[in-house]
Amino acid sequence: MVPCDERKGPLPPCAPLALAVMPKQQSSEPAYENKVALSRGTLFPGLDLPFMNVVNHPDHLSTPLCELMALDFVVQELKLYLDTHTEDREAFAALQTCIRLSREGRRRYVEKYGPITVDDMRYAESFTWADAPWPWQLCANKEG
Amino acid sequence: MFVYEKKLQYPVRIKNPNPALAKFIISQYGGPDGELSASMRYLSQRFSMPYPELAGILTDIGTEELGHLEMVGTILYQLTRNMKPSDVKKAGLEPYFVDHTAGIYPQFASGTPWTAATIGVKGDVITDLTEDMGAEQKARTTYDNILRLSDDPDVNDVIRFLREREVVHYQRFGEALRLATERTNQKNIYAMNPAFDR
Repeated sequence: MVPCDERKGPLPPCAPLALAVMPKQQSSEPAYENKVALSRGTLFPGLDLPFMNVVNHPDHLSTPLCELMALDFVVQELKLYLDTHTEDREAFAALQTCIRLSREGRRRYVEKYGPITVDDMRYAESFTWADAPWPWQLCANKEG
Repeated sequence: MFVYEKKLQYPVRIKNPNPALAKFIISQYGGPDGELSASMRYLSQRFSMPYPELAGILTDIGTEELGHLEMVGTILYQLTRNMKPSDVKKAGLEPYFVDHTAGIYPQFASGTPWTAATIGVKGDVITDLTEDMGAEQKARTTYDNILRLSDDPDVNDVIRFLREREVVHYQRFGEALRLATERTNQKNIYAMNPAFDR
């Protein structure tokens, strides 16, 4: 065994002393499929550590709104990953693909179900931005 | 600048109103380790963060926490919808109801109003990131406790999502702390505070 520097401890190998040391996530792969990621609350199987090993199932996430949520969730997960892995080209390419899919999905959703941001009013016939339902309201006949 | 998106991060559809659950879930709205505390902590700490990618992680996680605040508020709103005075009494919600009716007010489960006294902004890179790691664990524990107390499947589905986000954020703050220390004096990482001593 190579002896550690006097400022490094033997466990884990040669880690600095008096400092919380977190293992770095090595890669953005493997990754869950979008809807599974949303249902689990993480894109990354390695970080999926559920309480009492009870997990959510993605079955109820098949509405158009949930599909959009799943895409946006993967964008969020890759963004946070890239904040601490700025040089990861593969993850960056995956982020760009996901952003493009999200933009396209959003355009189709907005056409059918109404605005998500006020930007979506730019070609609308009337001002529907403030129409119900707001996201916290339960509404039986609204998709999602 | 913030732009509102008229959708939740994760769907919240609570079929059965249950004001008794709202009594303790409210702690993740305005409690000591709740989502309001989380967003204010990270969005405030970022101003003095000298490293751009770490200001980025504080901004991005702090913003996500605002979305979680909206989700917890949505749970509370749906659990207390269509309440009658008899439901209020049955749930033992009278002390809250008399002050707030069915409004959503940021407070601890114990009734203490939300306070910045439970968050830390120390203006020191290592200290703030270490605080953030502790904060994520405190929020995870609170969600664990909510899962121990709640038997509503619609509520627990959302709580499990929110709890897992704490695990992911903990990992990212740990990586942020690692990046921060790699940028400081390796012989003595406590020799100075890069947020203040230039």
